[in-house]
Amino acid sequence: MTTIEKETIHMKKYLILILVILTLSITASACSGRRLTASGWPGLNTDQDTAYLAAGQHVYAVNLENGTLRWKYPPEADNDVTFFGAPGLTDDGQLIVTSYNSNIYSLDPDTGNENWSYTEAEERFISGSLVTSQGIFTGSADHNLYALDFQGNQLWPPFETQEQIWALPNTTGDCDCVYLASMDHHLYVINIDDGSLRWQTEDLGGPIVSKPTLSENNTVFVSTFANEILAIDPDEHDVLWRFETKDWAWASPVPDGDQVYASDLSGTFYALNQETGELEWQIQPGGRIVSAPLITEEMIYFGTDEGSFILTSKDGTIQRNQTLEGKLYTSPVHAGDLILVAPTDNESLLIAYGEDGVKRWDFSPSE
Amino acid sequence: MWDAFITFMINILLYIYNLVGQNFGLAIILFTILVRLLMYPLTARQVKSSKAMQDLQKSKKWQDIQKKYKDDKEKLAQKQMEVYQEMGISPFGSCLPLLLQFPIIIGLYQAIIRTLAVTPVQLVNLSKHINDGAQLIPINSQFLWMELSEPERLQIFGIGVPILAILVVITSYIQTKMVSTSAPGDDGGQGAQMSQAMSLYMPFFMGYLALTFASGLALYFIATNLTTIAQYVILGQADFKNLIPNFSSS
Repeated sequence: MTTIEKETIHMKKYLILILVILTLSITASACSGRRLTASGWPGLNTDQDTAYLAAGQHVYAVNLENGTLRWKYPPEADNDVTFFGAPGLTDDGQLIVTSYNSNIYSLDPDTGNENWSYTEAEERFISGSLVTSQGIFTGSADHNLYALDFQGNQLWPPFETQEQIWALPNTTGDCDCVYLASMDHHLYVINIDDGSLRWQTEDLGGPIVSKPTLSENNTVFVSTFANEILAIDPDEHDVLWRFETKDWAWASPVPDGDQVYASDLSGTFYALNQETGELEWQIQPGGRIVSAPLITEEMIYFGTDEGSFILTSKDGTIQRNQTLEGKLYTSPVHAGDLILVAPTDNESLLIAYGEDGVKRWDFSPSE
Repeated sequence: MWDAFITFMINILLYIYNLVGQNFGLAIILFTILVRLLMYPLTARQVKSSKAMQDLQKSKKWQDIQKKYKDDKEKLAQKQMEVYQEMGISPFGSCLPLLLQFPIIIGLYQAIIRTLAVTPVQLVNLSKHINDGAQLIPINSQFLWMELSEPERLQIFGIGVPILAILVVITSYIQTKMVSTSAPGDDGGQGAQMSQAMSLYMPFFMGYLALTFASGLALYFIATNLTTIAQYVILGQADFKNLIPNFSSS
């Protein structure tokens, strides 16, 4: 065999080898299907002087006055434990956090020390916990709603739906019930005392992944992947109206005054008439919207996955459109005179703005 | 362009998923077979080209040229090119079909992994690619004893045995060995050694990926390996002797 011939054969084999390695490198690097890959967005809650941020491998307690770290949990990162659900605060002084490792933890909000953990769920917790005076209620990707007392014991056996539960449950003060939305297309109303089903809706047409919300006159609003916002009468169990969105409606609708504010993955933000579901105005500032807006007395704040942090008045006039590095998947939170934003893929995990939109401080995990 | 291609692949995968009763494991297998069947003309061309090259190198005319011009490399190269042209063979003729197959294989893989969206960010990303499949969300990723979004282990007497990873190693070894070709005179040189090393290391590397990553990926590897073996058998190019190391010609 000649040199040229051998070189040709060798070149072809090298080429095949390079292509195989290249293919495997590309495919391996894109192996996001691995179970424990953390791919949620930060969950945020506050009390009077501290912001609690569940962001990946840690829960951070951040001083609201200056953005400095008070503590983080766990002190050392564990690859198998990640936190993304918004932490909940109980009346007796516990911070409840949920994890992708299927556990619920109770922490001391002053120190970050662990009080107890609940480890009976079989799948990850995507959302945080609903905390009421009667207990702690959390939906799991194992299809169940778990109800715990404040010592981490089950209040009643898990309530099972037909699909994964990603949405935070909700309640009203006087219904003695939990509103639970599931990816099985249904909204369930569960008796808070014993976990029995009070009633459930018909198939609402698509998966629901965000918290059902309630207006002052007791109407329930849900967003579905069937490109719809729905208003439901919990007394008559009827759908009052449906509003068709341009794309999947991911974020919770937020009722305020005579309007309900909703959004979809096309990046359109809608103001609907709460009574009729008719469109009053809409804006599309750019980027997809997956989080519910923050509504203050005068203004509306929301973010998009292009990093746009939008401040708009209640007639739909954009007052400020600030672009941040990364994506804004987490709902902004109002804390005193601050508006807190927790971006994804940004060096800062938490940024505090004044109500005028001027940045006050930011928090980075390295601090 | 690439995004549009991935969108196309994901929607076909979801169509098959819906067609087979929302069984994602079956959808992965059928989708892999379908893509491999569609690529069959390219595979056949690649195999045909390799075979033609081998036949040429065994021919008397070729051997005569080697002997005649063994001391004049330039002349030898010129004569070889003349023979290539005369026979209508390109020395790199089997590479082009191979190159064309790679984007399709990567697209196939990415479509499978992206559709197995089990977290919010993954689902937001998947939603960009779904035209009309919101009803299919969340994807039912249970298949036989497997959760396709997780690494697979079958509990046998309390021990988690990675059945899929083992099958990936076995089928990858068979596939690599059965379809490997050796040229005359390529007897223990650098190319042969590399080929030998690849046929040993690659199955274990693939097995490692199958062991570590989502089992949907392992299922795809197995379906790909078995389809490739079947295609080579159909083309009459599978060399079963290569499976036994002692008889290996490489």
